[in-house]
Amino acid sequence: MRLHSGISKTVGIAIAIIIIVIIIGVAVYMMQQQQKPTSIIWASTQLNPPEEQAFVKGTLLKEFKDETGINVEFVALSYDDLATRLQAEEEAGKVTISLIGELHGGLDYFASKGWLEDLSKFGSLPGRTFPKVLEDYSKLYGIKAYIPWMTATYVMVVNKEAFKYLPEGLTEEDVIKGTSKWTYDAFLAWAKKLYEETGGPKVGFPAGPNGLFVRFLHGYLYPAFTGAQVKYFDSDDAVKMWQYLKELWKYVHPSSTTWDAMADPLLKGEVWIAWDHTARIKDAITSEPDKFVVVPVPAGPKGRGFILVIAGLAIPKNAPNEEAAWKLIEYLTRPETQVKVLENVGFFPTVQEASAKVTSGPLKILAEGVNNQLSTPDALVALIPSLGAKGGDFKNIYITAFQRIVLNNEDIKTVLGQLAPELNKLFQETGAPLPPPDSKS
Amino acid sequence: MSKVSVMEKYLPYILIAPSLAYLLFFIGYPLAQGLYLAFTENGAFSLENIEYLLNSPFSKFWEALTDTFLLVLVIIPIQVAIALGLAMLFNMKFWGRNTALYLVILPLTISDVAAGLIWYSMLSTNGFFNKLLMNIGLIKEPIYFFGYEYRPMEFLAIVLTEVWRATAIVFVILFAGLQMISQDHIEAAEVFGANVWQRLRYIVFPMLKPSLQAALIIRTLFAFQIFGVVWVLAGRDIPVLAGEAYYEQVQLRHTGVAAIYALIIAAISVTIGYIYIKLFRAQYLEEGG
Repeated sequence: MRLHSGISKTVGIAIAIIIIVIIIGVAVYMMQQQQKPTSIIWASTQLNPPEEQAFVKGTLLKEFKDETGINVEFVALSYDDLATRLQAEEEAGKVTISLIGELHGGLDYFASKGWLEDLSKFGSLPGRTFPKVLEDYSKLYGIKAYIPWMTATYVMVVNKEAFKYLPEGLTEEDVIKGTSKWTYDAFLAWAKKLYEETGGPKVGFPAGPNGLFVRFLHGYLYPAFTGAQVKYFDSDDAVKMWQYLKELWKYVHPSSTTWDAMADPLLKGEVWIAWDHTARIKDAITSEPDKFVVVPVPAGPKGRGFILVIAGLAIPKNAPNEEAAWKLIEYLTRPETQVKVLENVGFFPTVQEASAKVTSGPLKILAEGVNNQLSTPDALVALIPSLGAKGGDFKNIYITAFQRIVLNNEDIKTVLGQLAPELNKLFQETGAPLPPPDSKS
Repeated sequence: MSKVSVMEKYLPYILIAPSLAYLLFFIGYPLAQGLYLAFTENGAFSLENIEYLLNSPFSKFWEALTDTFLLVLVIIPIQVAIALGLAMLFNMKFWGRNTALYLVILPLTISDVAAGLIWYSMLSTNGFFNKLLMNIGLIKEPIYFFGYEYRPMEFLAIVLTEVWRATAIVFVILFAGLQMISQDHIEAAEVFGANVWQRLRYIVFPMLKPSLQAALIIRTLFAFQIFGVVWVLAGRDIPVLAGEAYYEQVQLRHTGVAAIYALIIAAISVTIGYIYIKLFRAQYLEEGG
């Protein structure tokens, strides 16, 4: 016993010291190892949900590191957090963020504050062509403010069965290609014919409380009928638009006010024509790719209004490791990378070369529909205004107008007259610029 | 002053301290936080949120308040009546009673959103219910249960779902209460010539009161928080208090307004709980004495 305890005490202390020294040594060594490669911070408001982050960190950034040796720390932030952090860093002159991933609206604001680097100094990105719309929008306040990274939009899905009931003068080709005959009037005639000949409404919208129908109101109908989203909110053209919607609503499935996403009603056959965000109809198309086609939205008197959600990549002024950040931009805009993003998280490519590389069936249907919509000659692109926390109030104004005019049958002029000041107040309070197409006309 | 008496003096406080700490942390702190959110704007006292809640054209408060009360007033009596009937039925012995008992309690295990989705797909235009009626030729066109134009039907669907889903909890409590009533009392009454109704009126009901009170408090308080089922079946066509709290917070980011909704639900719950306890306690005490 005595021998045992004597040895164990001395030896124990010695062993403990050796172990501690080894652990510290290993830790110091590993920390040095980790510090060796270039490390940059990529702050993004996009791809923030856990499964999307897992894809970014586990696939995209891992491959990038294998190729370049650059270590990227992906920091998921909300818009408000990003804006606050960037402002603090730029004002203090101590910038830690090397790359920003944000929507057009936010980047527009950052550029207006002079927080973004002019990216034209890095030269061009060979082997990739950006559509003109994207090239134009990414030039802000005299600089190349960002590189278009991903897009998303809202399209129409048509069950092929519905083509059997096309109204006179409208062909399947017109609808799929988005010709000048594919108008809101033609859509109304089609919806009416479907209603009468199939014994029930066959058109549906996601007008439930978490649905995105509000985007159809301010980003599709308003630009198509008035040429702007906000500017002509209570104009005579707007009154005509609401009259049109009231007429259309007679042939819209009444359960629309409870639907948040259209994949289910499409798959159950409750509706044959639906409008929704690409991510929210993807399920329907991947489950039954032979049954559906994705088509451009109809055009109105002022053009084919639709929302394009543009996410861009920007480098803050005085950012550390600008060269490494540019390398990451180069990697993220490669057609192969963009296809991977589409396949995994459902955002659409910004480079034209990528569309050709989409191979899988259902995604091709979606990508083609989106591409057809983008390349219609009468395209009138609308961007979602960046009102930050007031974005909810903006949506609520259009939704309230819809509920009162279409559902409650209130007088159009009165309702619009009451809501217009609220809408203007929002833009005055936040100082946000009117979103395109308002700002262009 | 011996140690013992000091100990005796403070013992009760020490004993209730854990519960008090629990209440302060889990009830007091959120309550204070809720009040702060509701009545301040940028750190200063403000009634802006109340103003918005009561008067803004964008607020659906009054509708939500009426609809919530309406739902509670319709759902609770139906649930209590059905549960009481079932409890008395199951209090008799019959073949297959245990199996039937499990079947009746089964909906209790399903979450409210899941229950809503089940009934939504059954009652939708392409759902089981409409298909069935159309196949046996009772109707030619589907019955619409959902959509703003069909709010009465949506209301009906919500009542159906809630009754199906949550009657079981009332039933379980009442059934347990019934089983505790000694058969001796009833037999004694029978000997004195009491008929079925008199036995129910003077023996069963008074002795069931504590259970009924517990069941009513639990069900009513939960009914005022009704949200998942309504959200799935009717969206905001039929606004309810908890749903509006969610919508104001998540879609509109009006945290202060959402906090007021939460406080209002809490205030209603406390009031209703108080009323129930007052209403039932007097006779309950007489029984004990």
